[in-house]
Amino acid sequence: MNATTGLDFASIPERIQTEVQRAIQRSIKGVEYIASSGPMPGATPKDTILSRGTMQLYHYRPMADEIYRIPILIVMATTNRGYILDLAPGQSMVEFLLKRGYDVYMLDWTAPKPEEKHLRLDDYVLGFIPECIRAVQNDTGETDINIIGYCAGGMLSALYASLFTDGPLKNLVCFTTPIDFTQMKLFQNFSDRRYFDVDRLVDSIGNVPAEMIVTSFDMLRPAARAMGQVQLWENIWNDEYVKSYRMMDKWGADTLPLAGEYFRQMTKDLMWDNKIFNDTMTVGGRKAVLANIEVPILHVVAEHDHIVPYEASKHLIAKVGSADKEEVMLKGGHVSLAAGANAVKRLWPKLDSWLGERSV
Amino acid sequence: MTSKGSDPAEMWRTMLGEMEKGFNAFATQTMTSPEFSRAMNQAGGVAAGTQKQFADMMEKYLVSMNLPSRAQMINMGERLQAIEAQLHEIKSLLHRLQHNSAASDDGYAGTPRPPRTKRPPSSSGGPK
Repeated sequence: MNATTGLDFASIPERIQTEVQRAIQRSIKGVEYIASSGPMPGATPKDTILSRGTMQLYHYRPMADEIYRIPILIVMATTNRGYILDLAPGQSMVEFLLKRGYDVYMLDWTAPKPEEKHLRLDDYVLGFIPECIRAVQNDTGETDINIIGYCAGGMLSALYASLFTDGPLKNLVCFTTPIDFTQMKLFQNFSDRRYFDVDRLVDSIGNVPAEMIVTSFDMLRPAARAMGQVQLWENIWNDEYVKSYRMMDKWGADTLPLAGEYFRQMTKDLMWDNKIFNDTMTVGGRKAVLANIEVPILHVVAEHDHIVPYEASKHLIAKVGSADKEEVMLKGGHVSLAAGANAVKRLWPKLDSWLGERSV
Repeated sequence: MTSKGSDPAEMWRTMLGEMEKGFNAFATQTMTSPEFSRAMNQAGGVAAGTQKQFADMMEKYLVSMNLPSRAQMINMGERLQAIEAQLHEIKSLLHRLQHNSAASDDGYAGTPRPPRTKRPPSSSGGPK
């Protein structure tokens, strides 16, 4: 080591050799990257047990010889596909839960059709979720159910839980669930009621196109996509990195459009009037107040969440009426919290230990 | 090995990371201004209006050419999807019937489900 420069001159040839090898690998793998179609996520064996318009209910085939009594229903965010929780063997929360002895169902979404533009929050909370719960009850023969809701899926699940207090819900887990929409600063500014004519938008185009949703997410971190490409090129010699990048990229590009009325209601009731936080939210004419929730609840939030910052999500645990409630902040971002290396080490074991003792 | 601080590749990565953070922070600051919101929504509103007018005009043009419009094709696709959904339901019903009658079956539908008797490791005395 040279004391003045801090350089270890002896290692320079080795370093140059590594860089040259990587440069060659980049050229070879770069061609492979363009020519190949990429990995197929969502491959854990499952059966579609219910399908109606935008709503899909999957049952994942059990992987353990003995399973917990209470089944789990995962409620996905309405803008994204559920395979983020089932990327690949070893990188799948669903697979992890199955192997740990849970019976897993997922309420996933497909792009709403033009004739589904009338769907409102009410249809999701009072229609789709209860319908899926009934299907799970029929399929399992069990009355009780545990729900895991991710992002907007967590919000819909929390609204459901606040309305069906005597219902079959036994335990509720939410990931990065927005409650105080005034704290989602950029989304607030994009939808500033002085300039954003949501009525005109929805009346003229019906469902809100996926491109618009992707652009608004991208705008939260405008340099991220370009930097992602640079990092991909740098790491293209690394098959694992490329596989992971492609799956995440595919998932990001697979963002779903939103039903027009749902978007209008989200904008007016949540972005503008912040009704969930203000305890003035109504769903189907019924007051949906978080304090009504009394089931055990776990809320997992991400330390570096740029989509739903902690200031927006921290009120869930504070507002629910449950005696058994816990908030856990884990390292990671909005997506890496649930999928990725961090999730394997942090979220999944926590989820297992919390749900296991409450699932018998 | 070179130390992290003097590794050119590492320095390049650090610089990129800092650039990304700086650009994102600058853009975020710009985008939180009311001027940005006004400009963005004006542009978005015009685009949505233009798109709607163009779609209406195109629809009339396709009718005059005796060609199906996108909406009609989507409608057709939806009817196919509805048929597929019904097939799914029938399939699932058949699976359940098969399962209930406990008929011999080499597929999953006939496979008995595992018992719902699992206890968490801590309560059964096993390792947590």
